[in-house]
Amino acid sequence: MGQPATMAARAQRNDAPWLTLKMREAMEAWLFLSPTLAGFLIFFVAPLVAVLGYSLTEWNLLSQQATFVGLANYDDALMRNADFWHVARNSAVFALGLVPLNMALALLLALALSGRFRGVVVFRTIFFAPVVTSAAAWAIVWKFQLQGEAGFINQVLAGIGITGPNWLREPNWAMAAVIVTRVIKMVGLNMILYIAALQAIPRDYDAAARLEGASGLQIFRMITWPLLGPTTLVIMVITTIGSFKVFDHIYLMTGGGPENGTLVLAFYIYQQGFEFFNVGYASALAMIMFVIVMALTVVQLALRRKDT
Amino acid sequence: MSSLTLSGIKKRFGKVDVIRGVDLEVEDGEFVVFVGPSGCGKSTLLRMIAGLEDITSGELRIGERVMNEVQPARRGVAMVFQSYALYPHLTVRDNMGFGLKVRGVKPEERASRIAAAAAILKLDALLERFPRELSGGQRQRVAIGRAIVGEPDVFLFDEPLSNLDAELRVHMRSEIAALHQRLGNTMIYVTHDQIEAMTLADKIVVLRDGIVEQVGTPHELYRRPRNLFVAQFIGSPKMNVVPLADVELPPGLVAPANAVSIGMRPEHLAITNPGSGIVSGRVAIAEYTGASSLLHVELDSGAICLVVHQGDEPQAGKRIDLRIDTGNLHSFGADGTACGPPTGHPRS
Repeated sequence: MGQPATMAARAQRNDAPWLTLKMREAMEAWLFLSPTLAGFLIFFVAPLVAVLGYSLTEWNLLSQQATFVGLANYDDALMRNADFWHVARNSAVFALGLVPLNMALALLLALALSGRFRGVVVFRTIFFAPVVTSAAAWAIVWKFQLQGEAGFINQVLAGIGITGPNWLREPNWAMAAVIVTRVIKMVGLNMILYIAALQAIPRDYDAAARLEGASGLQIFRMITWPLLGPTTLVIMVITTIGSFKVFDHIYLMTGGGPENGTLVLAFYIYQQGFEFFNVGYASALAMIMFVIVMALTVVQLALRRKDT
Repeated sequence: MSSLTLSGIKKRFGKVDVIRGVDLEVEDGEFVVFVGPSGCGKSTLLRMIAGLEDITSGELRIGERVMNEVQPARRGVAMVFQSYALYPHLTVRDNMGFGLKVRGVKPEERASRIAAAAAILKLDALLERFPRELSGGQRQRVAIGRAIVGEPDVFLFDEPLSNLDAELRVHMRSEIAALHQRLGNTMIYVTHDQIEAMTLADKIVVLRDGIVEQVGTPHELYRRPRNLFVAQFIGSPKMNVVPLADVELPPGLVAPANAVSIGMRPEHLAITNPGSGIVSGRVAIAEYTGASSLLHVELDSGAICLVVHQGDEPQAGKRIDLRIDTGNLHSFGADGTACGPPTGHPRS
């Protein structure tokens, strides 16, 4: 009897009677949230607000003078400067080439490697390894492989009687080359996400469908693919965002060339900000890119919600 | 409808023999229950019949046809899974019609067959719902409905009630029994619950470690178990088995020569006058269960003997004698095989 009474007394002494349980729980919740919230405010909201502010100025890093110009930078980018639309088109081509290719390949690899068979872990590792490889090393290696006549790829093609193009020196081929090499580098990540999703589908679904007479293709089309929907959406969103943000790969492989054929939005922003020092204009471009990516994400989410 | 014949069926996973030679006849329209403890191979055997697992050796016939190499969908079987395996992105209607759709059945016929099955299972109002919007019992009915619409010859049930609560299990058990009466199809049902087996089966197949311990009607298995395993697996509470030396058989009654232990079901034992019982001991625990009490009687040898006792339970610690009708005695040899009841004419 004595011990519980003592515990109750101690609990009472430590309690702050002016705090209701609800207030106490709210305080605890905010306390737990605060590290993430602080990081979000400092590293996301604050830079975003700053960039928004810069985008309304004409600010040259060299002269260190910022002049408020209102929406002139946006007007310049969207209405006057033809470069922007060329770059936006390049980014769209890059995304439209990369996202479907990456997702289709990731799904095929996941379907092949989601089962259990001897050596499956080795294969998964092989396809995932490029994801953790340094982007610089990857780009440099591929730059050599894709050289004109001396490149490994063209030598292989020559072996079967095909004369390969100078991959990184012709605008269309250069875009195809950066897309494909980027897909090979990043496909492993989406493959792992798809493997996890496939393994989460109960095996009984497959057994039940087989018993009911469904072919492998029917099972995939009517059961597996719809159940992969949420994962496909996540993959589509992160891959699309990633494709609009691509910078290092382009910078190291083509430098945006040839003839600005691979000049994509993120690289164009870098050029404007840190090569030509037009911080105001670069900030406006960054805001436009933010809006494009956000809009694409919202559209994808909305489409998905409509499906389900 | 179809009969089944399993001849020398074996299954090996790697180096492990899971099914070690099963011979079984299932008559047309019969309700057969595979029962046994976890890991005995009952679900594997069912999946082999369905075609979801290969048969390592032996022969499976459904009707007159050898089915070893026939695709699952062409065996004329439908299966209800323990997890129900309802496709979460499809409505009840689409779940039930899935098999018909992939087999190319016309939409009108599909609709009428789904409607018929839904009427049998009282699912009419639920057809547009998704599985996540259903209770456990409703999901179970949808799973059964999906099996019915395919109009199979043989229904296979893989522990279909194990995810339901006790009350719903009893209810669904009676629904499955009613369904069998109504459809008259051959049904094979897997469970580890011997009450389900006893209440549903025309014929029970008791499995242990991949072999059949005994096949028989519920009455046969209860009254004349072939060995100690079956004797103790069938019946609840399980049969008391006490060394022959601890039992005082009535004068004139002789245990078979090779018997080493005597089996007595708790519900067959009753308290009797001191000195006139077959065994005696002290009441260790008395558990009141409402309709009866379960007495744990500690025999003089230290063994515990369970007794289902009607009426007021004796106090713990009280010494009691227990009697049994001699027709309800079982005896077992050293290897656990039943060796018949004690024989002779007891002198009272």
